[in-house]
Amino acid sequence: MRTTFTEELDTLQASLSEEVELVLRALRGSINSLRESDPDLADEVIAFDDEVDALYLSIEQGIESLLARQTPVAVDLRFVLAVLHSNLHLERMADLCVTIAKLTKLAHGLPPDEMLVEGFDEMASRAEEMIRVALDSFVNRDVAGAESLVDLDELIDRTNRRVVEHVLELGGDPERREWGLRMIVISRCLERVGDHAVDIGEQTAYLVTGEFREFTDASHPERVDT
Amino acid sequence: MVSAAPIHIEALAAERPEPGTREVVFDIGDLTVSYDGNPAIKGATFEVYRNFVTAIIGPSGCGKSTFIRCLNRMNDLIQGAGVEGRILYHGQDLYGRDVDPVEVRRRIGMVFQKPNPFPKSIHDNVAFGPRVLGMTSDLDARVEVALKQAALWEEVKDRLKKSALSLSGGQQQRLCIARCLAVEPDVILMDEPASALDPIATTRIEDLMHELKKDYTIVIVTHNMQQAARVADMTAFFNIEKGEEGERAGILVEYDITSKIFTQPSDKRTEDYVTGRFG
Repeated sequence: MRTTFTEELDTLQASLSEEVELVLRALRGSINSLRESDPDLADEVIAFDDEVDALYLSIEQGIESLLARQTPVAVDLRFVLAVLHSNLHLERMADLCVTIAKLTKLAHGLPPDEMLVEGFDEMASRAEEMIRVALDSFVNRDVAGAESLVDLDELIDRTNRRVVEHVLELGGDPERREWGLRMIVISRCLERVGDHAVDIGEQTAYLVTGEFREFTDASHPERVDT
Repeated sequence: MVSAAPIHIEALAAERPEPGTREVVFDIGDLTVSYDGNPAIKGATFEVYRNFVTAIIGPSGCGKSTFIRCLNRMNDLIQGAGVEGRILYHGQDLYGRDVDPVEVRRRIGMVFQKPNPFPKSIHDNVAFGPRVLGMTSDLDARVEVALKQAALWEEVKDRLKKSALSLSGGQQQRLCIARCLAVEPDVILMDEPASALDPIATTRIEDLMHELKKDYTIVIVTHNMQQAARVADMTAFFNIEKGEEGERAGILVEYDITSKIFTQPSDKRTEDYVTGRFG
């Protein structure tokens, strides 16, 4: 048994779980700052991103060193590559939370639409669930669980499409319109968080089966096979 | 507007060997080898393809060396060794009654773990085989060609009369390869050819294998899995298994394209071995 090597692989997975917790905290923080219209909390979320970046970098460096020293093969190689990709997806999710926080600050003082804000809260809950499902499937090597992310993502996508329609209905008041335009971008950010969770699901399927395939193909929707 | 021209991503991927399109050099069927009735290898079946490097990997005692020794009838020299099953060499039974083992060993040469030059000059080491076999025309040219093919010529051309024992370990091993090439073989068998060498000498032997496979078929036994991953087109994994009566014998677990063995092995035992979770 390569004891040290196995321990290093376990550490990588633990770091990825830790990164997921940080992302969930950033997501919850960014949405709370929007709901409570709290620019201080938004600033905290923005500053907090340094922690995610530091962990992202340490995982990346850990993988670099592991590849150089341990030459993983077969399932270990697939695991390391899957962590490498998933790490980047999580870091991107955290960046999207920062964007939400920045937009929240820009929208501060503008008249919000309560219904839409409630909708975002629900979207964020769905995104949180997706991130948890993505991590659990990865840790348990559960392909079916990973594939279920596609259906969860469809719910967020649907809400995202409705946000545009709702913003168009906000009327001609310039302040409400500006607020609405900011919200379209926030909605898009939440939708992208869901996409990144699906991408992590694809890494789980690759890790288990050895074959990489996209669960859904945006440029060829007719080829979707799940 | 975005160009609709398709991108050929395949070109970026490493070239994958296609064994099905290759000429078969060795057709091995249900091969069982035993020493004094105790099986060392049981029921191995696979094909070795032309101009490929085929690596044999597996734990100590799994029959790797026994296997490679069957391919040029070196086991004939061991008392009590018995070979059953089929080994066809270019379609001809290697163990047929009318087959001359000396001719077999000319066409199927072997390089061993420890360089074993004769205590003679560099020139005479390479010339020895051709002399014994009566291939004496243009002997100096033959020696030069063999040394060039073994990537040793530039280092020894000015001291051909010096003792082969004055060479470094890595040079001695390349001399042994040159000695093997001088009799114009078809196949080169290598039994742990780099395990006694330092990393730089090892790299030279590995580079040499890449060159030599253009003209020869190479079968290499190696303990070093990363060496197999680096040099081989095809990899065979042998393991030790207990038989019904508790006897332990080497069996072929998996044989596939090397990149497949090291990324998605089909058999759990192969995966455990290549990832180091073995035992």
